[in-house]
Amino acid sequence: MKSFLIPALQTLMIILIALSFFATSWFGEEYVLRAEPYDPYDPFYGEYVLLKYPDLKPSDSAPGGDIFFSLKEGDDGYARIDRIDSEPFWGAIQGTNYGGQITTSQLEQYYVEQGTGPGLEEAKDLALTLVVAPWGAIRPTFLEKRPEQN
Amino acid sequence: MELKHKLHSWQDEGLIDESTVEKILAFESKQPKPLKLPLLMIIGLIFFSLAVFSFIAANWQEMPDVLRITLVLSVMWLFYILGHFSETKKIGHPILFRLIGLAMFAASIVVTVQTFHFSLFNSYLPWAIFIAALGHYWYWRQFPYAIVAFMFGLQVLFTSGENLGWFQWGAFLVVSVVWFYFSRTGISISFSWILLFGAGLALWPVVEYENVLWPIWTLFAVVAFTLSFPEKERIARPFYMIIGGLQLLVYLAVLGETQLSFIKMNVVESIALSIAGLVILGFYYIRFKKIAWISSLGLVGILLYDTSAIGLAILAEVVALTYLVNEHRKDRSLAPGFVFFILVQFVLYFIYAWGRMDVSLFFLIGALLLFALSGIAWRINKKKAGVSS
Repeated sequence: MKSFLIPALQTLMIILIALSFFATSWFGEEYVLRAEPYDPYDPFYGEYVLLKYPDLKPSDSAPGGDIFFSLKEGDDGYARIDRIDSEPFWGAIQGTNYGGQITTSQLEQYYVEQGTGPGLEEAKDLALTLVVAPWGAIRPTFLEKRPEQN
Repeated sequence: MELKHKLHSWQDEGLIDESTVEKILAFESKQPKPLKLPLLMIIGLIFFSLAVFSFIAANWQEMPDVLRITLVLSVMWLFYILGHFSETKKIGHPILFRLIGLAMFAASIVVTVQTFHFSLFNSYLPWAIFIAALGHYWYWRQFPYAIVAFMFGLQVLFTSGENLGWFQWGAFLVVSVVWFYFSRTGISISFSWILLFGAGLALWPVVEYENVLWPIWTLFAVVAFTLSFPEKERIARPFYMIIGGLQLLVYLAVLGETQLSFIKMNVVESIALSIAGLVILGFYYIRFKKIAWISSLGLVGILLYDTSAIGLAILAEVVALTYLVNEHRKDRSLAPGFVFFILVQFVLYFIYAWGRMDVSLFFLIGALLLFALSGIAWRINKKKAGVSS
């Protein structure tokens, strides 16, 4: 039975990775970000949509390079940047401020059901639901076409 | 039946007597018969697994996250269990099942990370497989696991690149040192030594110190560390000799191609490197004779300046020639020394002479050079043939 020690450890690692994502949902706060797609598809790992976020634009005075930021819900229900700092703070998401656009590796792409990528890309106006854990981890949970606004 | 037929024909020829034939047949009948799966069953199993996979693929998008991960994990377990039975019942090769199990572990990371919309760039994948393959190698001691570990170790270094932080670098160094320390076989010592050298090279982007001498510093440090394990030094020797030779060639080529003013040099560091070269040379007198060649790289630091640049060409020539002569005198294989000698000539000729000479003169001298080199090779071969005959 000792020869099952290694697969058991491997299973434990996968469980821990999965748990870390679920923990974000259990303890985190939900936001909806306005999103715009560009250039989807990865032939190797499947279909996904690359996303950029019109509301994640920092002010000119914001620090550049590696930054830490938090979100708050705006009046229209979509999330905005709350605080942005060059030093880490409690609940901050780690990202990069490059060329007046904030990016973070967990938000750059969203894997979608095979065949739905082009539809989402055509729609242009999308909304991404995500959960932000108190320790700054993010879990994107849902990508949909943005409902029409008046 | 074939055996019985053969034995009887040998008996008829008088090669063996009847009692020997009976003894052999009695012995063979007691041997366990190899288990063979019927062909139809194998074909059936292949079709069955194809059907299972296509069913899963068709329903993949609708499956809940946890079910997808569980499914890939179950396939991983299936292969480890098959590996276990293959080992205990002595059917097939258990390593094949376990290697597929390891691949399924990689697949389960891909599926998990993708399920939560994470990028695989800079992910846990190379690290996880690196560590898992080392775990397999430590437990089962079969070299294919060492190959997998080595490939993914390199992947950790290559994919991390600029993003390698202190923590990751430290972890990589610790893993490489531990692997090198516990290595017993040649393949394992070689792989871990190369990763150790790679870890040394990867340190410089971490400390953000821009300098042209870092590959030599790294080689000196790793070679000095290797000398604490004399029995492993012997196996790592070809690697550090090749890397040292390549470094000398690259410095020579770069110096020929680059404007000297572009190379930022630091006098203190150049002198420090020469002293380090002398320290390395010190090991020559203790025990390790080949180290003298490596220690000559210590001079590169002070030979990269405008006024001393010609010295690098002279150093390369002297090292190449004396190494070749020395190997010839000791009656050892001349091939590596000769290849290095020719490479030095070509780098010097193509990089330094190109553009400074008329084209026809360039080719004339090239032809003479080749003629001279082939003459040396012929003479060495002749002398060698004379010694052996």
